Amino acid sequence: MPHGIETSLIERITPMVRDLCTQRARALPDLHYADVRVEVTEGKYAGAENGESKSSGDDYAFAFGIRVLAGSRMRAPGYFGRGLGAADVPRLGRILEEGLLAAYRRAMANAEMKAEIKGKFGVLGDALDDTRLHPVQVRQEIVPAVFEVDPRTVALGDMQGFTTDVSRRVAASHRAVSYNYISTLTQLSRELFASSEGALIDQSFALTQGMCYVVATGADNSQELYDVVGHQRGWEILARGVSEPMIELAPFPEFSLAMAADAAELSAAPALVAPPGEVTVVTDPHYNTLLSHEIVGHPVELDRGLKMETAYAGRSWLLRGLDDTQLGKRIASPLVTAFSDPSLPGYGHYAYDHEGTPARRVVHIDRGVFTGFMNSRQTAAVFGGDPNGHWKATDASLVPLVRMSTTVFAGGQHDAGDLIRDVDRGYYLVGHRTPSIAESRENFRISARKVYEIRGGRIGQLYRDGGIMADSRDFLMHVDGVGRDFRLYPIPNCGKGQPMQTRKLGNGGPTLRSRAILTGGA
Amino acid sequence: MDLTRAVREALARLSERPGVREVEVFAALNRSLLTRLNYTSHIPCNGVEEPKSTEMSGLGVHAVFDGPDGKPLVGFGSEPSDLTTDGALRALDKARQAAVHDPEFRSLPRPGPARRALVDYHDPQLMDISDLALVEAGWKVITGGLRAFMASSRLAALVPGEADLKRLGLILGGDVTIEQTRIAIASTAMPEPQPDDSTFMSASITAMVEARDAKGSGWSVCMRLEHFTDEAGGEAAANAVAAIDGARVPTGDYTIVFGPQPVADLCNNLIIPSCQAGSFYASSTPFLGQLDRMVAAPALSIYDHGAMPGLAGSRGITCEGLPTGRTDLIRDGRLVGLLSHWYETQRLLHDLRAREKLGIDPAAAVAALTPRNGFRYDGAGRSFEATAGTSASNVIVEGADPVSLDELIARVRDGLYVGRIWYTYPINGLRAGDFTCTVVGDSFIIRDGRITAPLLANTIRINDNVTRLLGAIVGTTKDARGTMVWGADEVVYAPSIAVTGVHADAIAGFAEGLD
Repeated sequence: MPHGIETSLIERITPMVRDLCTQRARALPDLHYADVRVEVTEGKYAGAENGESKSSGDDYAFAFGIRVLAGSRMRAPGYFGRGLGAADVPRLGRILEEGLLAAYRRAMANAEMKAEIKGKFGVLGDALDDTRLHPVQVRQEIVPAVFEVDPRTVALGDMQGFTTDVSRRVAASHRAVSYNYISTLTQLSRELFASSEGALIDQSFALTQGMCYVVATGADNSQELYDVVGHQRGWEILARGVSEPMIELAPFPEFSLAMAADAAELSAAPALVAPPGEVTVVTDPHYNTLLSHEIVGHPVELDRGLKMETAYAGRSWLLRGLDDTQLGKRIASPLVTAFSDPSLPGYGHYAYDHEGTPARRVVHIDRGVFTGFMNSRQTAAVFGGDPNGHWKATDASLVPLVRMSTTVFAGGQHDAGDLIRDVDRGYYLVGHRTPSIAESRENFRISARKVYEIRGGRIGQLYRDGGIMADSRDFLMHVDGVGRDFRLYPIPNCGKGQPMQTRKLGNGGPTLRSRAILTGGA
Repeated sequence: MDLTRAVREALARLSERPGVREVEVFAALNRSLLTRLNYTSHIPCNGVEEPKSTEMSGLGVHAVFDGPDGKPLVGFGSEPSDLTTDGALRALDKARQAAVHDPEFRSLPRPGPARRALVDYHDPQLMDISDLALVEAGWKVITGGLRAFMASSRLAALVPGEADLKRLGLILGGDVTIEQTRIAIASTAMPEPQPDDSTFMSASITAMVEARDAKGSGWSVCMRLEHFTDEAGGEAAANAVAAIDGARVPTGDYTIVFGPQPVADLCNNLIIPSCQAGSFYASSTPFLGQLDRMVAAPALSIYDHGAMPGLAGSRGITCEGLPTGRTDLIRDGRLVGLLSHWYETQRLLHDLRAREKLGIDPAAAVAALTPRNGFRYDGAGRSFEATAGTSASNVIVEGADPVSLDELIARVRDGLYVGRIWYTYPINGLRAGDFTCTVVGDSFIIRDGRITAPLLANTIRINDNVTRLLGAIVGTTKDARGTMVWGADEVVYAPSIAVTGVHADAIAGFAEGLD
């Protein structure tokens, strides 16, 4: 046991965690529901900068989180979370019970105060309601991880060498490359979920990622590019790349060198000077990965719809009130279909979410018509509909919230090349860079890694520092071409929640053609 | 837990281990308590949605080892939940296993001439707050907001009777946060253990009258539990009511008075990252090669001060054991200093391209690169699981010849007052300086030197460049207010600032026509 804790610990503590939920918790007065999540991760990482090793590590993470719904006059939630270490294992039963009791005390106090405030504020108190969870099928299952090269078997020295070599090659690849930071990560996680309803789910996940950040300096500009290769697999994906029906990722050295080449090429390219008014734009699958994330994925999170994110990540233009939504209404061209699907491969894959709901595909836009949200048991109980398994946290000690699994634009019927060849004057956006989205996701500006002019159906001049801006519905309604070239990509850093939870998930889509306002430098 | 004793004993034990040239032991006990709030008059809700907490304790060990060829190897390891010497030894073993040769590493942090200014500044009551008090704090803020809504004659006039108030879509969202942080550090170069305990409490609330697309904010930051009130809820609700009947403005260039929150947001996402040593090392700052040159209007000064008594971002020492203090970043428009930590300062001063990156001889930049900002913030306190990076503490923004807000608005005559922006990012990379954001509330239209109407939320997107903005500042107010933006480490104390020629695009016209 080189670092103190192994994922096999989950097997040893499963009976204890089950009994805590089904016996100790159920015995507490006015407790209506409790669940416990425990997570163990064994991981290794290495970092290199400008061809020199900078850091590495081989360690574990161990944490738990507890939710309780309780109360006599009303029902309310209470939570407790904590990071753990190897020294806690001998007294884990007592620590978990103390956590359960802390969450219970908070829930009971919360319920009592909710009842008191409800009575004090007349009509405005009416909205204060019992906390309910939509019923789900109670499951007990063990879900194994998928990998060829077990993350635990990778030698840290080999990782350091590999990572430093990639950094060295990137540094030497072009004169314009002035800085690079390369990191690699491979880990195995095991998550246990148990509830007072009897659920007992043990899921394992492998995850491997290579990150490349490169800066190329031109005469009057620096081009900073950042992207990852990643999958829920073992170390093999960095050495060999990924070639699956929906995922094509180059081996990490080639991927990083291609980014360096892009940065160098862009640093010598002219800055885009945007013409006034809307133009025809063709956006590639990598660009649409971020577009699907921002203008489909986020606004269809039901916690946003129900205003629970008003102060943070924002609301959704798709839902103003329980009886005032865009459900059943056209919000996109008939060519556009979009959905979230936890069964797709990549960062967004899982079998159960963090409240034990079996995860399933939910279609958000069906041939242009808005059809539904991703949800949790609590939000489904408020809004209606069956839970579809999208309540996730980045760490067992943190409270889950509605998150994307893999949210995508569905593939279409067009040849991607034809979508460009049919354009007399327009722009082709390749690769996503940085997003900025309006509060209810009604408008976006997203910059592209590269912007090419299209003249007479042919790709022409390359520009740096460009992107597009549009109202989300207008962009979706103006889509007049959807490619067959559907691709999935990893998104490594989606931020949501308070405190902020930065989550890895999947997005994707095919090439799209629509209309938008081109943006350049200010 | 006695963190001081833990680091003293760990340092003594680890220093004796074979092959250890230098070692630093950092112990931390962090607890973050938060009640997340969600009240919606038109949707069933909990009011206090998440009374919760996370906590973690442990040791981090940063060590320099003898390498096989005489070159030093540097490694870091940590062990959670174990402050004994056994835990320290496990962390050292991890550090040894992970150690690499980094040619830019020169040493672990060394003491300088400055001395610690801030001691015994935390609130013991906040350090020991109960579960009940945590839940009460959340309901206190909700109650403040509901009272303000109920008392509003303006809201009452919008509906036929009190029973219809809930149909206005009254929203109160946000949180009450309490941070309890205890650390201690000792190292070969600074063997006397240094403890540092800190606490703070904040409330950040967004209120809406959603049926009228009116949004307002309220927030408070305090250092003592006894100073905590329901004001954030009441303020947010009152500001939401004041935003009713908002109007659109067309695409154009405006003189904009940015309020404290937008100034904090611009600092957090653009200005502070541009003033960090690491951004100069990576050639990714818009101020590349401009140290000791004018980068803003002469009226503007910005400094970071981590040792100012009574401010929420103040700490006694950095997470490297060095004294916190004042670092001037922009003084009278001139870039005079950078935020940094020990490693970043050492490598930038010895970088062969330092003169090109900084714009001055590195020997002349030693004072400008004093490492007062080496922190280990991870969103839940001062983490023992990582080495220090650069974070701001209290960022203070000041203008020359400040005036009252009314006078500044009168001087602007025609333009906008923008009180809250969102999703502010350097859209074409940090060095380009281009940024974009949307205006999400607390904003007004200025005509003939006075505020004439609220600006409808979510109807303009600002597209501009931060270097241009800094050069186009034409006035500031006297009143500064502390603001923490979502996910930020630092607290920004900023006045309102007027900037000419800010480009704004009208957006989302379709949203008002939705059926």
